[in-house]
Amino acid sequence: MPNPPAGPPSCGGRASRPLWPLLLLAVAFASSALLAQYQKKPPDFGGIYAFPTPTHPEPRAAIERGLDVAMLAAGLGLAAYLILRRRSREGVVLLSMGAIAYFGFYRKGCTCPIGSIQNVTLSLVDPRYLISLGVIAFFFLPLVAALLFGRVFCGGVCPLGAVQDLVLLRPKTVPEKLERYLRWLPYVYLVVAVWFAGWGLPIATGASKVLVARRFLICEWDPFIGLFRLSGSFHMLAIGAGFILVGMFYGRPYCRWLCPYGALLSILSRVAWKPVSITPDRETYCGQCADACPFGAIRDFSADRATCVACARCYECCPREIVRLRREGIPAKRYVAGADARGAS
Amino acid sequence: MSETSTRRKFIDTSCRVLGFAALGGAATLLTKRASAQAVYQVDPLKCISCDLCRTSCVLSLSAVKAVNEFSKCGYCMLCPAYMDVTSQPDERGVPSGRVCPQDAMKRRVVGKEDLDDPNNNYYEYVIDEARCTGCGKCVKACKPPAGNGSLRLEIRYNRCVTCNECSIQIACPEAAIVRVPTPGMSPVETHGGPPHA
Repeated sequence: MPNPPAGPPSCGGRASRPLWPLLLLAVAFASSALLAQYQKKPPDFGGIYAFPTPTHPEPRAAIERGLDVAMLAAGLGLAAYLILRRRSREGVVLLSMGAIAYFGFYRKGCTCPIGSIQNVTLSLVDPRYLISLGVIAFFFLPLVAALLFGRVFCGGVCPLGAVQDLVLLRPKTVPEKLERYLRWLPYVYLVVAVWFAGWGLPIATGASKVLVARRFLICEWDPFIGLFRLSGSFHMLAIGAGFILVGMFYGRPYCRWLCPYGALLSILSRVAWKPVSITPDRETYCGQCADACPFGAIRDFSADRATCVACARCYECCPREIVRLRREGIPAKRYVAGADARGAS
Repeated sequence: MSETSTRRKFIDTSCRVLGFAALGGAATLLTKRASAQAVYQVDPLKCISCDLCRTSCVLSLSAVKAVNEFSKCGYCMLCPAYMDVTSQPDERGVPSGRVCPQDAMKRRVVGKEDLDDPNNNYYEYVIDEARCTGCGKCVKACKPPAGNGSLRLEIRYNRCVTCNECSIQIACPEAAIVRVPTPGMSPVETHGGPPHA
């Protein structure tokens, strides 16, 4: 007959049966009786009391998530219009301030297309990974815009670029040789970040068990997200301060020499349909646009599609543009005098 | 137009068309496996209330807070999550120490208060969210068998900035932070899978 180790007391009369399961049972009963005074059912208050329901704040509503994508699409469209059509530097500055306000401080830097590289990679590598529609839109919309109009995302919509663009006070040029090397860094960073997001570093823990540590490096080393959140780890805030300091003298250091999404955009904008262009048939060969470009993107009187971040500074000091603006009756701005003086000298 | 310029234009156009095709293809593939949204949540079965939620969130005051599920709460006078049961009792036999280092948990008597014997009273325990740091000390103390387990840590979506990579998730030793398409959903049934597996 099978002998259950902790059966009911009725079968406990056998002499061969060890005593300890019974003891264990007794201890369990005793302790549960002891603990029962704490383990209470919610009391019956007899109708004088209604149980409050704990609040559970909802995540962002679908309409808010849709607004993010709509703002991105509108921003890209507006950037393309302001830069390529209106050729208005002031418009671009206003737009990028709006981008800092919305994508930066309001949305706290997330979702951003730069970070979405990693989600897209991970989703392609591991189909179980949960990717949301918004992230997909954030990854692809600026790339589509780059194929059409060049890096208008960098110029007007990216809050990280806008921060650096606004702090650029005294643009200096980087030695050509150094620049040639630095220009490759974004591609290196892109490859490393994609590798870490999709595959990670295999860490051997024990004999055969291998732990894969996937990390989102781009997010962990984001320069300005700490600024947007007004909090963050020390290394993030320090990097942000460093980039702002360097960015005062060298235009957009992160965009030019580190941003992995900028690497993707510059590949695609090489074949852009209608990028920023220095109109060749109306060229005066004064070279003021090249002087005005803090990024060294204008060479031989033409804008390099891959490096141009569509900031519209070249249009701002082009004598032809100033003449056009005057003819259209747009009041002279402070920069006109400067450009005239430089043109006269 | 010169021959080189025409050729250049042709190459540009074909590359652009290729680019659109590649982007479109990848976007379609991804959209098929996409969900409308993805949020982080704490899996209460895995959570060991280790204090890392408080320290590793990118926000200076963590987005993780303790929440009391009132329907599970015992309304005990001697709440192990409210008072430090090992501390010195006062003249009425109620332990004087508090579990919450921020004094974020408040209690009030439900109904008419018996001033002579506090054991005859029922207490409603409410967490002041502005003070709660998400350290999980109360959650740990409320775990069965000592408590009813009515307290648990929860990511509060009015505070969470839904970082692309949750730094609590990286720090969590029990992989208790999961990404789900709808809050309250189990990650298993949604094939959410751990993103940092």
